[in-house]
Amino acid sequence: MFGWKGTLLRVNLTEKTIQKEPLNMKDAELYLGARGLGTKYMIDEVDPKVEPFSPENKVIFMTGPLTGTFAACSGRYVVVTKAPLTGTIGASNSGGHFGPELKFAGYDGIIFEGKADGPVYLYINDDQVEIRSAAHLWGKDVHETTDLLVAETEEDARVACIGPAGERLVKFATIMNDKHRAAGRSGLGAVMGSKNLKAVVVRGTGAVAVAQPDAFLATSMDARTKLKAHPVTGVGLPTYGTEVLVNVLNQSGALPTKNFASGKFDRADETGGETLREKYLVRNKGCFGCSIGCARVTRISDGPYQGFGEGPEYEAGWSYGANCGIHDLAAITKANFICNELGLDPITMGATIACAMEMMKKGSLSREQVGRDLVFGDAEAIVELTRQTGLRVGFGDQLAEGSYRLAESYGCPELSMTVKKQELPAYDPRGVQGMGLEYATSNRGGCHVRGYLTAPEILGVPEKLDPLTTEGKAFWLKIFQDLTAVIDSAGICLFTSLGIGLPEIAAQIRTAVGWDCSDEAILELGERIWNLEKLFNLKAGFSKADDTLPKRLLEEPLPDGPAKGKVVELEPMLEEYYALRGWDADGIPTAEKTKALTIEG
Amino acid sequence: MKVNFYAYFREYANAKELTVDHCATVEELIILLGQRCGPRMHKELLNEGTVSDQVIILVNGRHIAHLGGPQARLQPDDEISIFPLVAGG
Amino acid sequence: MSKVLIISPEKCLGCRSCELICSFHREGAFNPKQAALSVLTFEEAAISVPVMCMQCEEAACSKVCPSGALSRNASGTVVVDENKCIGCKFCISACPFGNISYHPAERKIIKCDLCGGDSNCAKVCPTGAIEFKEANVANLRKKKAVADKFKEVFGEASV
Repeated sequence: MFGWKGTLLRVNLTEKTIQKEPLNMKDAELYLGARGLGTKYMIDEVDPKVEPFSPENKVIFMTGPLTGTFAACSGRYVVVTKAPLTGTIGASNSGGHFGPELKFAGYDGIIFEGKADGPVYLYINDDQVEIRSAAHLWGKDVHETTDLLVAETEEDARVACIGPAGERLVKFATIMNDKHRAAGRSGLGAVMGSKNLKAVVVRGTGAVAVAQPDAFLATSMDARTKLKAHPVTGVGLPTYGTEVLVNVLNQSGALPTKNFASGKFDRADETGGETLREKYLVRNKGCFGCSIGCARVTRISDGPYQGFGEGPEYEAGWSYGANCGIHDLAAITKANFICNELGLDPITMGATIACAMEMMKKGSLSREQVGRDLVFGDAEAIVELTRQTGLRVGFGDQLAEGSYRLAESYGCPELSMTVKKQELPAYDPRGVQGMGLEYATSNRGGCHVRGYLTAPEILGVPEKLDPLTTEGKAFWLKIFQDLTAVIDSAGICLFTSLGIGLPEIAAQIRTAVGWDCSDEAILELGERIWNLEKLFNLKAGFSKADDTLPKRLLEEPLPDGPAKGKVVELEPMLEEYYALRGWDADGIPTAEKTKALTIEG
Repeated sequence: MKVNFYAYFREYANAKELTVDHCATVEELIILLGQRCGPRMHKELLNEGTVSDQVIILVNGRHIAHLGGPQARLQPDDEISIFPLVAGG
Repeated sequence: MSKVLIISPEKCLGCRSCELICSFHREGAFNPKQAALSVLTFEEAAISVPVMCMQCEEAACSKVCPSGALSRNASGTVVVDENKCIGCKFCISACPFGNISYHPAERKIIKCDLCGGDSNCAKVCPTGAIEFKEANVANLRKKKAVADKFKEVFGEASV
C-alpha cells in the first residue's frame, strides 16, 4: 500500500472494543483522506441530524496519503465529527507530529463510537492498542495531561488531548496535540469530552511507503525548494509569523475592530507580527516535515501576564486585539496561552468576549450579570474571562456557549458576528468582498481556511483581485475551496498554497499513491469533497437561508478607511456561485452534479 | 506625503514612517525611497528600474494594482504603506 | 580535508525532514524512528537539536566490534560492513552518544555513513541547521561573525 496505510482503528467506547479494519479503498480513491475521507465515513455511518453530544455521534481522526511522508509540510491530520458550535459537519485539522505518528503506528485513522462510562484515553503503540483509564487526568490542563501521558507511556509518544474546556463541553473547545497545535474550530474537543475521551496517545515505529519513490522525492524537493524561494513562505512567514497581517489588514481598512464596528484600529501596530517579534518571540518553529516554520515560540518574562508557549497567530491576535479594542500584546499573548492550556478556540473566545463587550455597551448586559465591568479595551478582562470560560465558572459559563447563543439569550442575536453560529475571523468582508462569499458558503460556518480569498484580494497572491468589487469572486472562490479541500484531504498544510499551486500539490499526490491522472482530476476530488460536505449540511437541516452573513455586514456601511460606505454585496455573488457550482437556485447540488462527481449516498 | 514601512522595510528605512516631498507617481516615490534609504531598500523595491511586484504597496489603503499600477498619480496628502509580500492567517 | 556535519541548533525548526530523508535513503520508505539521526526538542528551552554520528576519531563502536565490521574508510567515515556484522549490537552500547541503533525488521545496525560522502540530511534541511562542509570552512564562518562585530565597531563605512 502506498501513501495510505490501509488500516483503520474502530474504537467503541461504550462496548470497550477495538477493531482493526481495512480502509475503504474505493472511498479513499474518491475522497483522498483526512477531511474528505473522514466526511465520507461520517455521512455513511452517522445521521446528519444527530445531536452532537449524543453517543450516536462519532469522532473520526483521519490522516491523508501524504501525512508522514517527505511531501512539503506533511504533518497534518483532521478530526471530523458533527460540530456542536455549528451543527454542520465539523472538520478541523492540525499540524505538529501527532498525525504522522499515527501513520508510523500503522493506521490511517481512528473512528471513535459510543461513549465511555468514565474518563478514558486510547493508547496506541504500533500493534498494541488499549483503552485505558483517564480518571487521574480528568480536570488537568493540556500541558499537564500531555506530560503525564508521555511519562506513563513512552518518551517518544505523541499526545492529542482535550483540556478542561472539552470536558466541560464548551461549545468551542479544541483538541490539542503536541501541546500547542490545535484542531481548533467548531468545538470538536467538546465532542471528545461528551464521550469521556480525554486523549489519544500514539507511538509508531513503522514506515510510510510511496508508489514512485524517486519521482516522489523529486516532486517533494521541487515543492520544498519553491516554498523556500517564495517571499511569503520563505521569508515573510518564518520571520514574522501570521501576525504580520495585522498591519496589512488594518491599512486596508478591513481589520474588524470592536466587534466589527469599524475596519481600522488606531493601535493595531502594537499587536502586529513586527511587535511580537521584537518583544516576545523566542524562536520560530515548524511542524513535522515543514519547510516554512511559521509557528511562534513566545515568552513573556515580566509584568502581570508572564507565561511561555506558542502564538498568538494572526486570528487570535485580532480576536483578542483589535476586535476587543485591546493593544496590550502581553495580555493578548497570555489569553492565547490560556486557550492552549485549557483547550479553547481563541478566535471564537475573543470574538465572544467582543460581542459581550458590545452587549454591555448597548445595555443588553449588566455589570451584575457579568460580575465585572466589560468595556472595549479592558486587557485584564480577556485574560480573566478566558480562564472563566475554559473552566465554565462565573460568567464564563455563558461565554462557553459562543457569541450567538449568548447574544440570543439576551435578545440581541444581531450582535453576534457569526455565520452558522461560528464566529467570523479577522477580515471584514465589507472591505474584502470575496471573503463575504467565503464566510457565507463555508461548510463549517464563519471560517477563513476554506477558500482564503484574502490572498488574492488583499495580498495579491497569486492573482490581484480588487477587494471592493464582486466580479470574479465566485469563480475564484470555487477554485480556492476545491483546492483547499484537496490540500486538507492530502494531509499537508494549507500554507503550502501560499507558495506553490495545484501542479506541485497534484504531483506529490500522484507520485505518492501511484495515480496517473491530470491536475484537473485532482482538483475534481476537491469539488467532490466540497459537495459531500454540502450534502451533509443539507441533510442536517441547513438551507440557503443559512448561507448568509450577520445583518451588520449586509446593511451597515463601514464607517471609515478605504472601504468606507461599503456593505457586502452578497446576493449577486451567491447567485453566481451556486450556478458555477452546478447547484440550483436554493444552493442544492443537482442530481446531474452529484452523478457527474460520482457521489453516492 | 506620509510613507509607512512594515516588516523588514522598517530596518531598511531605519524608521516606521517617513515624510517625503510630494511625488507625482508611485514609481517616482519608489525611486526616491530607493535613493534615500540605501541599497537594500532600492534592491527590494525596484527590479531593473521598475517597481517590483514582490512588494505590497498601498495608497490610502488601496493596492496600487487597483489604482493603475506604478504610474498611479499621488496627491500631497496621500498615505502610502509598504509591505513585503506576506500572507497567512 | 574531509567534510563534516556541522549543526546549528538555533536554526533548527524541529521539522524532522532530516529523519525522513535519512530513513528514505536507507529503506526506500519514510520511517523516522529508523533514521540514523534524531531531532530532540527541548520544550522549555525552546530549542531543537539534531543529533547524529560525528565519526569520532577514537570510535568506540569500531573498537568494541568483535568482528571488524566497523572500520574507517578512506574518507574518514566509520562504516558498517554488513557481510562482517554478526548483529551482536555491542556498538550500540559502546557509542557514548546513542548514535547507533538497530532496525528490528531488517535486523541491521543503523549508523550514519554520511550517505557515502553526500549527506542528504544537510541537503534537505530547510534552514541550514545541518550543513555538510569542510570543518575549517565552518570555523571560518564563525570567525567571520566575530570579525564582523569588530568591523561594525571600528570600520570606517558600514553598509
